Amino acid sequence: MISNLNAIAVRINRQFLRDRRFMALSVAVPLVLMLLLKYVLNSLPQLARLGVHVSDYSILAAAFLVHFLAYVLSTIVLVRDRKDGTLARMFVYGFRRREIVLGYVGGYSTIAAVQTAVVLLLMKYLFDVNLLADIVPVALTMLALAVVSVGLGVFISNFARNEGQVFPFIPLMIVPSALLSGVAIPIRNLPAALQWVSYVVPLRYAVSVLAGVVQQRQSFFSRLTPFLTLLGVGAALLAGASLTLRERE
Amino acid sequence: MFTPSDDLSPGESAASAIVIDGLYKAYGSVSALSGATLAVDAGEIFGLVGPNGAGKTTLIKAICGVLKPDRGAVRVLGLDSGRDRHAVRRRLGYMPQEPALYEDLSPRENLAFFGSGYGAAGLEQRIRDSLEFVGLWERRDDPLHTFSGGMRQRASLACSLLRDPELLILDEPTAGVDPTLKAAFWEHFQGLKQRGVTIFLTTNMMDEAVRCDRVTVIQGGRILVTETPDAIRARGRTRVRLELAGGVIREAEIGRYEEELPRLLTDYGLSGEVRRISIHRPSLEDVILSMIENRNPDG
Repeated sequence: MISNLNAIAVRINRQFLRDRRFMALSVAVPLVLMLLLKYVLNSLPQLARLGVHVSDYSILAAAFLVHFLAYVLSTIVLVRDRKDGTLARMFVYGFRRREIVLGYVGGYSTIAAVQTAVVLLLMKYLFDVNLLADIVPVALTMLALAVVSVGLGVFISNFARNEGQVFPFIPLMIVPSALLSGVAIPIRNLPAALQWVSYVVPLRYAVSVLAGVVQQRQSFFSRLTPFLTLLGVGAALLAGASLTLRERE
Repeated sequence: MFTPSDDLSPGESAASAIVIDGLYKAYGSVSALSGATLAVDAGEIFGLVGPNGAGKTTLIKAICGVLKPDRGAVRVLGLDSGRDRHAVRRRLGYMPQEPALYEDLSPRENLAFFGSGYGAAGLEQRIRDSLEFVGLWERRDDPLHTFSGGMRQRASLACSLLRDPELLILDEPTAGVDPTLKAAFWEHFQGLKQRGVTIFLTTNMMDEAVRCDRVTVIQGGRILVTETPDAIRARGRTRVRLELAGGVIREAEIGRYEEELPRLLTDYGLSGEVRRISIHRPSLEDVILSMIENRNPDG
């Protein structure tokens, strides 16, 4: 079990290391988006008068980015695995469903960790937010978010026959995450019905942990409920996702 | 290599590598297999021939236990391909229709990855043996995206040989492969047969079907016939064209021309009037195509 899981995670990371363009993009995309965020927010001086601090949003934007990239990548890679026949080959060659799903989580967690590190460095230099003190809760939350993203990705991959068919599913996840998770608009300011809907948006729980720990200087333990909920959502999604793999292991 | 099992189903001999009995599978309202039945002997090269969409890949997936049939039984190497699928898969090699390997990785890395699924004992040596067998050892560390289509197929074949299989399942192994490489593939297959490996392959090319020991023709999820290529060819109707004196031409279709031709000719007393007899023997491809068109092999 562990060795097969590890073989899959290692294989995924090895593929990414080979793919120079992907490597460059996975570092450049967070960089460009964070820069964009900084200059857009800085060019709106009225925000400061409203008491909005640009730096407050940076960690939430970072979480959003990691969530989004891991979701899209894992969906596309799994669709490609199915289309190219490598998924069927994995099954015939002795890999089990849970090994495949957890192996993907392992592989993407490494990538998400690299992206998180990039983002944390950027936050220090662009926004002058030093997160070293909160590195453990931030890293754990990002990791849990990566698990959720892969679970969603595996699940969605069942509905696409090729990489192109993944694209309609991107806004399906992005728009609710952007509007209902508390990244851009505080949840308490939403209409009551949408506040209820926000409970099914996984990013909501990550935002709740990060906003509490980083912005409001709360202890990680006081934010344990949303963190465990996020982990629970991740575990449920993974279990569900591994059942939705149509192939017989 | 082949170990017979104690619990054989009726009609299954100890020398059967694959026994498929009344297999049904539908995808929604589209039925892919409708009661397919066939038996593959241990040690033979067995060809599954049919047009695209005939149910070949579905049948292969059922043999590998990746797909659950709606009805019917599949026994592979004496085991149930559904219930005992892991025991079956450990003993078979599977080459899917697509190369089904990772483009960014080298052949060695691909084989090391897929080979680790059922444990990595002795894997290094088996990777070397497999890659040497298909002539890719020299290119073992080059990424697959630098390979031609034929080399990818060879890498895929090497991957299917990793576990030193007793039974090799090849889904259109030579699709898109040039004639030289195709000949090399068939040398590989004959070499494996010499070692006692049973080979089950699908193809829609008749030049390949004739190289098999036995052939099954599948159409619309139904098995039309299972025989040696020669026997299938003998089922074809022979067209006879007689050119009589005075430019009169008489044409006839007969079954086994060796017996029926003399009978036909007695009408004419086998006299000197018969100037020349030309016989058109149908190729295997002609026969199979007409079977698929008519679904009536005996005419």
